[in-house]
Amino acid sequence: MRLNVNGRAHELDPAPAVTLLELLRDQLALTGTKLVCDRGECGACTVQLDGEIVYSCLTLAVACDGSNVLTVEGLLNPTDQSDLAPIQRAFVAKDAAQCGFCTPGQLIAAHNLLSRTAHPTDDEIRHGMSGNLCRCGTYPKILAAIRAVANGEFANEKREGVAGAA
Amino acid sequence: MPRKPKSAAKPGGFVQTTVEIEGRTETRIVEVPAFEPEPWGNDAELGIVGARVPRMDAAERVTGRARYTADIARPGMLHAVILRSTVPRGTIRSIDLTRAAAMPGVLDALGPGDAPAATRLFGKEIFYAGQPIAAVCAESLTDAARAAEAIAVEYNLLPFAATFEDAAAKGAPKVRAKGNMMENGPLVMQRGDTDAGLKAADIIVRREFRTPVQLHTALEPHGAAAEWEGDRLTVWESTQGIFRVRADVAKAIGVTLSKVRVIKEYMGGGFGAKNGAGAHTFVAAIFAKRQRRAVRCINSREAEQIDSGNRPSSVQRVTIGAKKDGTLTAIHASIDVPLGISGWEGGPGQIYHEMYACENVRTEETFAYINASGMQAFRGPGYVEGAFGLEGAMNALAKELKIDPVKLRVKNFTKREPRQDRPYSGNNLLECYKEGSKVFGWSATHQQPAARSRKLVGKGVAAQVWPTGGGPPAYALLRINSDATIDVLAGTQDLGTGARTVLSQIAAESLGASLSTVRAIIGDTESLPYTGNSWGSMTTASVGPAVRMAAEDARRQLFEAAAAMLNATPEDLESRDSRIVVRDTDRSMTFAEVTSKLGNVMIMGKGSRGPNPADTAIMTFGAQFAEVEVDIETGVVRCTRFVAAHDAGRIINPTLAESQLEGGIIQGLGYALFEERVLDRKLGLVMNPTMHDYKIPTMADIPEIDAFFVGGADPAANHTGARGIAEPPIIPTAPAIAAAVADAIGVEMLEIPITPWRVLAALASTAMGDR
Repeated sequence: MRLNVNGRAHELDPAPAVTLLELLRDQLALTGTKLVCDRGECGACTVQLDGEIVYSCLTLAVACDGSNVLTVEGLLNPTDQSDLAPIQRAFVAKDAAQCGFCTPGQLIAAHNLLSRTAHPTDDEIRHGMSGNLCRCGTYPKILAAIRAVANGEFANEKREGVAGAA
Repeated sequence: MPRKPKSAAKPGGFVQTTVEIEGRTETRIVEVPAFEPEPWGNDAELGIVGARVPRMDAAERVTGRARYTADIARPGMLHAVILRSTVPRGTIRSIDLTRAAAMPGVLDALGPGDAPAATRLFGKEIFYAGQPIAAVCAESLTDAARAAEAIAVEYNLLPFAATFEDAAAKGAPKVRAKGNMMENGPLVMQRGDTDAGLKAADIIVRREFRTPVQLHTALEPHGAAAEWEGDRLTVWESTQGIFRVRADVAKAIGVTLSKVRVIKEYMGGGFGAKNGAGAHTFVAAIFAKRQRRAVRCINSREAEQIDSGNRPSSVQRVTIGAKKDGTLTAIHASIDVPLGISGWEGGPGQIYHEMYACENVRTEETFAYINASGMQAFRGPGYVEGAFGLEGAMNALAKELKIDPVKLRVKNFTKREPRQDRPYSGNNLLECYKEGSKVFGWSATHQQPAARSRKLVGKGVAAQVWPTGGGPPAYALLRINSDATIDVLAGTQDLGTGARTVLSQIAAESLGASLSTVRAIIGDTESLPYTGNSWGSMTTASVGPAVRMAAEDARRQLFEAAAAMLNATPEDLESRDSRIVVRDTDRSMTFAEVTSKLGNVMIMGKGSRGPNPADTAIMTFGAQFAEVEVDIETGVVRCTRFVAAHDAGRIINPTLAESQLEGGIIQGLGYALFEERVLDRKLGLVMNPTMHDYKIPTMADIPEIDAFFVGGADPAANHTGARGIAEPPIIPTAPAIAAAVADAIGVEMLEIPITPWRVLAALASTAMGDR
């Protein structure tokens, strides 16, 4: 099967029972995406698949043939790995990550939310992000980070069009 | 300038000091540091300490680069899975590992008798469902999990007790060999005479409170990876205490401390449950030795929810006596706690003795063992449960006396720590009440929405104390590299609290270095000096002073070297932004200019945490205010607004500290409204070991939270002026929310979580239920 991950094409041959999460973590060494509940309850394994967010722990890899996947590693500027995406910079500035284990999933969910709704209301953010659990209690700071990006606080011209290709 | 230690003992000598850890007091012998920096009081001119510096490892955390134990991958690494008992009590009649061992990809299996005795693993007697009974090791996690399921086990079942009542009953089944109740009978703490105090009371309030078992539910489960090189073992572990894991592993496996290296770079939450090695650690180490390959063993979510620790439940029968003006005359609580199969007396009692001025206080705590996984410390252990009873009773008293609950608390404010009759290092609880009330707009009377509205609004308040002084031993080193970058070395750990950032800020401030040149290196037992576990809200107040001393020691040496280069004496020098200036002149050198002249002559500072002040209570205080909206049709409670004012001494980094407050409040909100482990009494099994059935709060459940600090530096606590903050904010949240619900619906909520059906049941007991 072919899979485009963060703009890179891969030829892969996963066993039928391998999940997209296992493929990303074990075969492509993209360990930013986390395994937490293994049954679609917590959102830590959230990735973007052809523009939609999915729980990669519940997504079979073989079902993704020909698809585009975006993971937390793909939010960075591919030509400058020190160049964080606006949502990542907002998470840093607003202290939206404590232990950081849920953060990759939160970032992809937030990125996807903002790509669909450029100016979400607080209720839309709360609803849109409620599938991503955090135990440290960073929710108020994640909310603030998403609000800030929506308000253009972290806009960056040179990065236009870099992220979100998938 | 540095001054001599204030204690009588001379530098380098050893003295006795006390350290309070999660409510327990330990006496330790500790060396007196060579010098003691001048305490940073409120007038200290600090630029980096106290600044809202972004978390220094945030970029790692938002890019996926941060490496957690679950991300450790070693060449040829194998995966281990632990099989757990499916019955709560009995013996293993037979266990057959041969089928599992022959399955594809499987290399090894461990069962009864296969692990060193000191690991206490894989005994044939079963004490709780979820107890490890065997393990398999395979090329992939999937292979290992399939093989574990293929192990055939037959049990001889024995009767069990899954509740306090069942364990304490006459003729109860033997929960464990040594008896069902904690040895030495109930834990009784007393001052004064509560009978006399109740006789003197104008009013007596009696209530029975119930709190549930709460599960830590850290997103990263417990886990370890282990690899041997010859006779040396490296363990990567998601832990709050790398040195404790090292000691546990060395003892269990039977090797010396110097043969074991424990590494923890990043961890996905701990909350009290990750304070030592566990079955997963030993299993990984044993398989790694037998297979001569690295082995990773990470708890599944189900294992994590069933057998990785919990906050035990409690029943608290509380009696409070007071005068008409609200003055407390007696506090009495009789408390039952089922611990699980193991645990300690970290019960709800202590806060009853510490929160208020009251001459007559007595608690009797009875701890029973039950056939369920053992308790572990969970953020504010004991005090969280105790606050629900004590603060609930105080709110009930306020209502009966028709006194504003804030005024009732102010009335009973204590100027000395009453349990041990000690002065406080500092106490700004009154300011917490005042500022919290102001920001919240507190008033005991308020307008309900229009009559016959479906949604009722209520407000509630509760307060907290928590011992947070930190203490020795804790050591730090600081080295200045030849390019003037600075490494801070301390064997501590960052649970997500921001320890790397806070320690870097303290180092930069003390040294007069620019923060961007400082890097804190933590989480490795092999290369770093000892610090204790990150528990009891202790890290900043324990390691911070050691880092400050190491930095001051390095600065002294740097000034010695620079003085000759600047044609000045060290006493004439001062430093800021990595530049050394000769006071009242325009002569100066950057750190880099000095270190480039020194070449590889390295400046290394050494610091240690000195003893605590004698007979002094070092505590963090807080008051929290909740507003809720109760839907009387559905019973759903929404917390709509929350204000928290806390006094934790000097705040090294307000942004990170406020994140801690919010985190504690949100876990407290879960405890108040959603979270409860359900252990079936007839089956002895956990019925909700998933994140769907065990509900933690989501973003949709969170109100606007205004959490902030009052007071200021506490130089009497230690020379950084900081106390601990991690645990205090979870303590008063549930009683504040319960009081708000009671205010809304007019029925006291004596049991949490306050689920919709509990609200509807409460409403049904009143006229309101007929509306």
